[in-house]
Amino acid sequence: MIVSVSVFHVRTRFRTETAFGIQAHDTQHGHGFYQEKEKIMRYVIIGGSAAAISAIEAIRSIEHESQIDLFSDEATPLFSRVLLPYYVAEELSKPLLSFRSADFFDQNRVTPHLGVRIQEISANSKTVQTEAGEQYPFDRLLLATGGKPIVPPIPGVDKEGISTLKTMADAERIYQFKGEKAVVIGAGSVGVETSISLKKRGMEVTLLEQLGHVLPTVFDEEAASIIQKRIQDLGIVTVTGEKAIQFTGNGYVKSVVTDSREIKCDMVVLAVGVKPAIELAQKAGIEIGSLGGIKVTLQMMTNLPDIYAAGDVTETYDLSRDSNWINAIWPCAVEQGRIAGLNMVDRKTFYEGSFRRNSIGNFIGVPAISMGLTHAETCSSCEGGEEFQEIKRRTKDTYKKLILKNGRLIGAILVGQTQKAGLFSILLKRKINVDEYIPILINKTLNFMDLLPLIRRNADQFKEAEYKEIMDTGL
Amino acid sequence: MKILMVDKTKCTGCHQCELWCGTEIASVPKELYQAIHEEPHPVPRVYVEEKNFALQCRHCEEAPCIEACPNGTMRRDPETGLVYVNEPTCIACWMCVMVCPFGIINPSASMKVAIKCDRCRNMGYPICAEVCPTQAIKLEDRKDYHKKAFEVP
Repeated sequence: MIVSVSVFHVRTRFRTETAFGIQAHDTQHGHGFYQEKEKIMRYVIIGGSAAAISAIEAIRSIEHESQIDLFSDEATPLFSRVLLPYYVAEELSKPLLSFRSADFFDQNRVTPHLGVRIQEISANSKTVQTEAGEQYPFDRLLLATGGKPIVPPIPGVDKEGISTLKTMADAERIYQFKGEKAVVIGAGSVGVETSISLKKRGMEVTLLEQLGHVLPTVFDEEAASIIQKRIQDLGIVTVTGEKAIQFTGNGYVKSVVTDSREIKCDMVVLAVGVKPAIELAQKAGIEIGSLGGIKVTLQMMTNLPDIYAAGDVTETYDLSRDSNWINAIWPCAVEQGRIAGLNMVDRKTFYEGSFRRNSIGNFIGVPAISMGLTHAETCSSCEGGEEFQEIKRRTKDTYKKLILKNGRLIGAILVGQTQKAGLFSILLKRKINVDEYIPILINKTLNFMDLLPLIRRNADQFKEAEYKEIMDTGL
Repeated sequence: MKILMVDKTKCTGCHQCELWCGTEIASVPKELYQAIHEEPHPVPRVYVEEKNFALQCRHCEEAPCIEACPNGTMRRDPETGLVYVNEPTCIACWMCVMVCPFGIINPSASMKVAIKCDRCRNMGYPICAEVCPTQAIKLEDRKDYHKKAFEVP
């Protein structure tokens, strides 16, 4: 096993076609071939969430001998960040936040370094250094450092009783906050879920959003109005189109001042979004893209040899936008982690691209799913001559909207009736022209077999066995 | 490896598979008459689509539902390669519903857990294939639709 891995390693590698043209990387070989044969690969992974764990699973699906060291600044291993609002709501206890079993690291022969922050990466000596000054060498490195919550520069934002919700420590801090009145700033997914969590705990909650409606990046006005009504029905006060300009209080937060009112409160949760945590990468000389995420190739490689990146820290090619974007969502992190992991063990694999996908689960009592773009006009990189379409279908309790660009699906919104939403995901992902299928797609009885002729026609886009076994039937 | 093949030319659209899946797998009493009157109504894991095609989970090689699941509820059985929902941990976020390319994952009637075909992994043989009167649904050994995930380590 070791031999076969090493032989792979000795080959000249890394001439790859990327989203940014051809890149050539040199690998450094300090040893002769025979020494190399004995060598066990050392993988270092920085980060401990979706992308990191997915990469480990990909590496271990190919080989078992290498050494994997995982560094995470979180002391609690394997918890799912997206479930933190459920923890705040007292719906899930800590053990139930885990997305892998407690023996995951043992099972996958990983040495976890939990609560250990990496301070520096040396690309030249191929080592990482912890805050305590310990050095660990690597042959391949994965940066899965994720995102960090944005703290808006509002006067008084450093007062006690104000927190973001990103880490386990944040969740515990919010859980411990005393008082009856809470203000949540930012009505994105985290903001909405946190508001509902705090409401469930018996608090008076105000949800403050500076844009015109709740979930502004996830839904359009019409879908948001259905959801906003549900949120209000739960007893949450939603204030949209107003900006927080100051936090008052002597040490401890007492109120949030907006452009037109003052909202008394005992605590504030900041949920205005995340941005890639790139400090470590930047210091190491890793190239950052124009959107502020680590720039990666389709193999999830950074500009430095043997250093890969995946998850919320990266910017990747977005299939719905036809340009780079930061899609900081769980499924993208898992996909990218898998691609990175496979390439780290020399299984050349290309990422097909990311796109936004959001599902509002049972939180508000009505299912709602959204993917890709929410409006035709939000496509900023569009060139002339492109044709956009928006197709809508509205009933009393449901709303469905499709966004098309040159006959291709680039976005979908489903509220109330969300069955078969995955059919839109796959059509968007595989860039299928659906022009002739619009009446079928917008119909509420849509099912997979309706699309079979379309899938057959685009068979080159559906090469996996699971599609073939259905395409071949009834011919 | 075994694949649950569906032959469109043999399917008569009789819905026996749905009826039996809904009774034997989804219902509490496991008896047709009582299942029909059960509240909330049991949801079958197989769907007869377009009049004559019974579709159930394809247990994809790279399953998008497993990748999208934020807490490891959607799992692959390492022994068989079959994908299943670990119902006790499901938080009903519907991420799997959002990404299933076949549209065969759905909320349960109670809207509490995601429901999908696990090819009756605890029963030895899929009920839909067992009851299909024309053998349109058949469990076949097929090398031509190989999925690496089904290789037993």
